[in-house]
Amino acid sequence: MYCNTKTIDTQFYLYAINKYNRQNWEDSDFPILCPTCLGDNPYIRMMKDKYGKECSICERPFTTFRWCPGRGMRYKKTEICQTCAKMKNVCQTCVFDLEYGLPVAVRDHALGLKDDIPTGDFNKEHFHQNLGKELALQGDDLRQAHSAPNAFLERISQGRKGPYYKRNLPHICSFWVKGECRRGEECPYRHEKPSDPDDPLSVQNIVDRFYGTKDPVADKLLRRAEEMPSMAPPEDKTITTLWCGGVTSELAESDLQEYFYQFGEVACINIVQKSSCAFVQFTKRESAENAANKCYGRLDLKGVRLNVRWGKPQQSGAKHHADIEKTTPVPGLPGPLPNPGKVAQYDPSKRAKLAESVPKPMSEPIDLPAMGAMGAPRAPSDFAGPDKGGNSGFQKIHYPSQSKDRMGSGKYAHMAPPSQYNNANNAEKKPGQKRAASDWK
Amino acid sequence: MPKIRRTRKKAPEGYELIEETLNVESLWPVFKIHHQRSRYIFDLFYKRKAISRELYDWCLREGVADANLIAKWKKQGYENLCCLRCIQTRDTNFGTTCVCRVPKSKLEEGKVVECVHCGCRGCCG
Repeated sequence: MYCNTKTIDTQFYLYAINKYNRQNWEDSDFPILCPTCLGDNPYIRMMKDKYGKECSICERPFTTFRWCPGRGMRYKKTEICQTCAKMKNVCQTCVFDLEYGLPVAVRDHALGLKDDIPTGDFNKEHFHQNLGKELALQGDDLRQAHSAPNAFLERISQGRKGPYYKRNLPHICSFWVKGECRRGEECPYRHEKPSDPDDPLSVQNIVDRFYGTKDPVADKLLRRAEEMPSMAPPEDKTITTLWCGGVTSELAESDLQEYFYQFGEVACINIVQKSSCAFVQFTKRESAENAANKCYGRLDLKGVRLNVRWGKPQQSGAKHHADIEKTTPVPGLPGPLPNPGKVAQYDPSKRAKLAESVPKPMSEPIDLPAMGAMGAPRAPSDFAGPDKGGNSGFQKIHYPSQSKDRMGSGKYAHMAPPSQYNNANNAEKKPGQKRAASDWK
Repeated sequence: MPKIRRTRKKAPEGYELIEETLNVESLWPVFKIHHQRSRYIFDLFYKRKAISRELYDWCLREGVADANLIAKWKKQGYENLCCLRCIQTRDTNFGTTCVCRVPKSKLEEGKVVECVHCGCRGCCG
């Protein structure tokens, strides 16, 4: 109702161009978009314009959609048709990959995909005419090929995980740049300095970006990927330290500890404020390697971007080893937990037969003859009685608190526990008589 | 470029030179004067009661004041309505009123908004 006139006019306008192929004009219900382009508002109102514009790639009319991706953003619309978008598995507006958010050139380079799409006049028309039918047949295979999991792409797209709404900002006010903007406060365009015209990133073309040729953003990403030092673990097997750069004063050792202990026991963490870096040392080489696999290169903790690399053996690394007091490892403790991925599947038959071995607390008569004399309750140890044989981990006592004869730190061992456990003693007292201080031995 | 393209031909040479002047803003003073004129008559009759009913009716008939616009001003909430286009829901893409009808308190941190129809900066409340 609201866009009627415009639609009819465009139809006539485009009739002149492509009247023989009107059966093949594309019509769709909803655009193929990435989350960044859609914006943060869940209540989007979208305008649909049947055959509103021609696709920037195949130049055929298609259904355009237009919406506002959030407060203060410019209105975005679909630039390429769904057929072209499906062919490359990209978003219809920003032409970035739907899976990783990376430029087409980067993704194709990593996955080894090579499309020979004709770009000339009639070849292109012919190709796109028949593309619709082909996609209907091979659609699924194509999509799987495009979204195959790939470690290289995972690493590169680390920085692009969340939505990047800066892309949706209004364009720069060209009048303001010249100093001629007379709209002032109500000007919807940005009054900011434009990007440097010499910067190669300023010259971008949607057709080039789609085909994957001459894409400055893709080139920059690939170059950066090559220059990144490789993640290969250092040959010196004793190195279990990871170096983290970019540590600001917001990050405390406890934050690093909380994050890194998932890979294994952390021997120590040392933050050097002056060079804003931190050294995270693990007790085991495997834990360090696990950690490196997961977060080498880029890690975001509490909003701070950390640069993670292997620790170098000289200077701080070595100083580190010397600094640590070698404490004797506590015997009998369980080892570090395995990586979540390696946990064996749950097997009900192997479940610890807990039900039988735990004694029912109240049914057994509790033997408390020597309570007062001992000065420490025996009750807990009696509970653990039947288990003594099966409980292999706690036989050797390293810390005093591991012994079964006592409860607690021993600070209050001289005191007897409250009366409810002290039935033997109470039998001698009259009910209601207050206990003297000397009773609390 | 007007929203409705009436011809399918490209404009002849020289259009770019004049199209800047042919924007929507050039019509804003027209709406402003129309509003002011009707407001004057409305105030004279209803608020100050300075003219007779006969004179008031004559002004409406002659087209000095807009009867439809004045009819809206008598309604609660529309006392300061800028123009009739801004409450016409058929004119918008999503069937809503113009942005100038949004109260300033609801327009959080919003900068100055000048509606596209008449250049109004907020005719609510």
